[in-house]
Amino acid sequence: MRKPKSEARPAAAAAERGKGDLLFLAAVIGLAGYGVLCVYSASSYNAEVQYGDAFYFGRKQLFGFLAGLACMAAAAFVDYRKLRRCGLAALAVSLALLALVFVPGVGRSNYGATRWIGLGPLTVQPSEIAKYAFILFAAGYLSEHLAEARTFRGVLPLLAAGGCVCALILAEPNLSVTLCTGALMLGMIVLGGASARTLAVLAVPVLLLVPALILAEPYRLSRLSAFLDPWASPKEEGYQLIQSFYALGNGGFFGTGLFRSRQKYRFLPFAESDFILSVIGEETGFCGVLLLFAVIGFVIWRGFRIAGRCRTVYGYFLVCGIILVYAVQSALNALVVSGSIPPTGLPLPLISAGNTSLIVTMAAMGLVYGVSRHNGSGSVHKMDCGKQRMKRN
Amino acid sequence: MSLSVLRKRLFAVLLAITFLFCLFLSRFFYIQVVWDDELRYRAIGQWTREIPVIAERGKIFDRNGELLAGNVTGYSVYARAAAVEDAEGTAQALSGALGLTYAELYEKLTDRTRSEVTVIKQAEKERVLALEGLDLPGVYYARDNLRFYPYGALGCQILGFTSADRTGTTGLEGYYDRFLRGKDGEIAESADLVGAEIEGAAAAYLPAEKGLSLTLTVDARLQALCEEAMGRALAEHQAKSAQCILLDPDTFEVLAMVCLPSYDLNEVPRDDLSALNALSRNRTLSDVFEPGSTFKIVTAAADIEESLRGNPQALSVTHIFPSSRTRTVDGTTIRCWSDHKNGKHSNQTLAEALNNSCNPCFVDIALSLGEETFYDYLEAFRFGRATGIDFSGESIGMLLPEGTVRDCDLARIGFGQTIAVTALQLACASAAAVNGGYYYVPRLVKEIASDDGSVRIPVERALAGRTVSEEASSILCRMLEGVVRDGSGKNAYIEGYRVGGKTGTAQKYEDGHIAQGKYVSSFVGFFPADDPQYLALVIVDEPQGQYYGSTVAAPCAKEIFEGIISLRKIAPYES
Repeated sequence: MRKPKSEARPAAAAAERGKGDLLFLAAVIGLAGYGVLCVYSASSYNAEVQYGDAFYFGRKQLFGFLAGLACMAAAAFVDYRKLRRCGLAALAVSLALLALVFVPGVGRSNYGATRWIGLGPLTVQPSEIAKYAFILFAAGYLSEHLAEARTFRGVLPLLAAGGCVCALILAEPNLSVTLCTGALMLGMIVLGGASARTLAVLAVPVLLLVPALILAEPYRLSRLSAFLDPWASPKEEGYQLIQSFYALGNGGFFGTGLFRSRQKYRFLPFAESDFILSVIGEETGFCGVLLLFAVIGFVIWRGFRIAGRCRTVYGYFLVCGIILVYAVQSALNALVVSGSIPPTGLPLPLISAGNTSLIVTMAAMGLVYGVSRHNGSGSVHKMDCGKQRMKRN
Repeated sequence: MSLSVLRKRLFAVLLAITFLFCLFLSRFFYIQVVWDDELRYRAIGQWTREIPVIAERGKIFDRNGELLAGNVTGYSVYARAAAVEDAEGTAQALSGALGLTYAELYEKLTDRTRSEVTVIKQAEKERVLALEGLDLPGVYYARDNLRFYPYGALGCQILGFTSADRTGTTGLEGYYDRFLRGKDGEIAESADLVGAEIEGAAAAYLPAEKGLSLTLTVDARLQALCEEAMGRALAEHQAKSAQCILLDPDTFEVLAMVCLPSYDLNEVPRDDLSALNALSRNRTLSDVFEPGSTFKIVTAAADIEESLRGNPQALSVTHIFPSSRTRTVDGTTIRCWSDHKNGKHSNQTLAEALNNSCNPCFVDIALSLGEETFYDYLEAFRFGRATGIDFSGESIGMLLPEGTVRDCDLARIGFGQTIAVTALQLACASAAAVNGGYYYVPRLVKEIASDDGSVRIPVERALAGRTVSEEASSILCRMLEGVVRDGSGKNAYIEGYRVGGKTGTAQKYEDGHIAQGKYVSSFVGFFPADDPQYLALVIVDEPQGQYYGSTVAAPCAKEIFEGIISLRKIAPYES
């Protein structure tokens, strides 16, 4: 089972790099490109009415896509192993950015929440960056302390880092991203091999915390009830979900055809961002949604496959974390749009309008691709075969 | 740390993600493939903005095709606050063009709680055309029809009027609303959330269906003639009100129906509701009065018919009535209006009793025929029930139920007291007494038809029942002709024409007591007496000064008949 090739030869490290997982790369770029098209379609009417320019949001997304491609390329050529020592620094920077949101004059408010930092004409959403900073930190920590990560004491640093990030995001307030980050934290602890006992100890406060957070803000409870019966308050809490249903229903099985959404005529709020999936569902139908998630699922599967083939513990956790972020966000967004969970504001990564999310996600995916290049093309290395190497790393 | 644990954990996470994917994909399947039709149906309402296409209301013509109620084009103006770009400017333009208050308009145009507000309904065409040129965003126009009555007040209670939303509320406009109204159409335009039209999107057009038109039995010229005559009487006698019904006794078609005072249908006084109700009520069929002597026609008809049938209780036409001025029934004394001095009202036959309108004679008839027989005739002449005319709000009058009637009541009914009737009931009963004994259902509408003639619904003459035989009727006609020639109806006599008739003067009751000095003067007249073609009932309510039917009402009937003679160029009988 073992491959003799795995003997360490630092000089040959460069030669080891293959073409990497090109299918993964193509799927990610394809999704992001498709996203630009969808953003344009979903936003054209609203952009025309608001800015007198149908391409307003589409162009912005295109710039984000091009910037994302550049970042992706850069990330792909970075030797990910060098990032191992940056975890703590990245975490510190992102916590600082999150705190910066609350500095008057810097933070930008929208829809009653302060979630953005203004940099001239650009706005950056630090919570999008913080998720990946946490992954960097967690991957670094787990690669160093894999043995301790089984115990509760061992996962405490992860809990502390995740807790800080969550607390700051929650203060914005942004419950959905908080829960998303919390889920990510738990996911990393699970992947890190924490014992069943440790997980059980963690589960109790989490199960208590979620209802407490929902009850803390009355609007969350009314949203919760609106999700169960949106037609009870069709003009208030239920409005968004009803509009999403109308869009999806109008799409039916085959869809109305690209650019032919009826709901994008200002009926569906956030049609180009959090609810872009509703417009996609309307224009391309259930078939289109199925196909889209087939590709998304493909990216996730390929991602975990890259992780599985990685020769370093650090790379394994880094890739797992990045893919986990992507998978959790995609799933949560689809659950919201389909009315399976209460509506919260989460973008569909790679597709929704929003440059911070797009660029950061693409950069992270570039990193994953970079890892796949180090795995060697067509390599059939398994995790267990690099046991000794891993330790040395 | 075993790597197999890590692999298991990765597998578990993948499994969890797969589960989530299956969860929402099945949800998408349900929404998009199972639930889609219902959702699409629900969503259609918000995707379109409907602009009504107002159906043209059916017209109303008189029996000769003269237009009595028509339409002129007007426009309704609507606004959608969310789509209005410049509320101040728009409000200014609208207030200028339509003569509305700026402040109110501004409030309407900025009220975001309502998706659509009505700026004005039924505005004149020119005003709105000027606005359309300004191309105001968020302001919409819909063609509307303004009801227009070329004759103004003519026949106002018959025609009735429509409400601001074009629903007929009173008169024939109300009664025949379902025929007149037509069916509104609709233009459904694709619109965005705030109602702004989506360019290039298809609009669905559902055309409006015109309403059906009515052709009345009423003759506008005769209506005008009657209104003129009654108006003169109203003014001359300073009466409270005046009514007149002109019937064709052969068909019971209403040729004219007058209630004065009246009002202009083009300027309905909507501000004072009680006044409007009083003015617009068709008193000839909704208000009741004690008829008095005109009712003797019915009593005489019953007696003649019973006498011809050989009823020994009936008093024959040759019967000589006792000359006394009084009759005592159930211990009460009933007097004649005349003092019977100097041989007046002595040794009268039925014809003379009619000429003199002698009350005791009709007491004798009623008592002699008895309650059962007399009530059979009251029923045949349809007192105590609606005539069935095509009009809303008809009263059935007041008639003591058979079996509860004392002799003193029966005696008074004989000369038209202790009974209340509508003018229409009295006119129809009189017509059914002189036309050979046929009671038809009175009608105001001859035909309902569409403009293009594709729909024609004629309203046929309908026999409700027989009253008396042709022979009895013809005897009665001769007697009533005598009343006009020799008796109390002389003021309706027209040289060369055979006019028959009967006067009536009744005291009014207020709160169960006789109201001093308040009378209802009436006259029922018809001609030609040998084959009645026109029957007129004239009622003058509370005339001041003179109050006898013979002096107040009979001259009106004469004026009306003379008018008909000259209008219709009817040749005199003895020329």
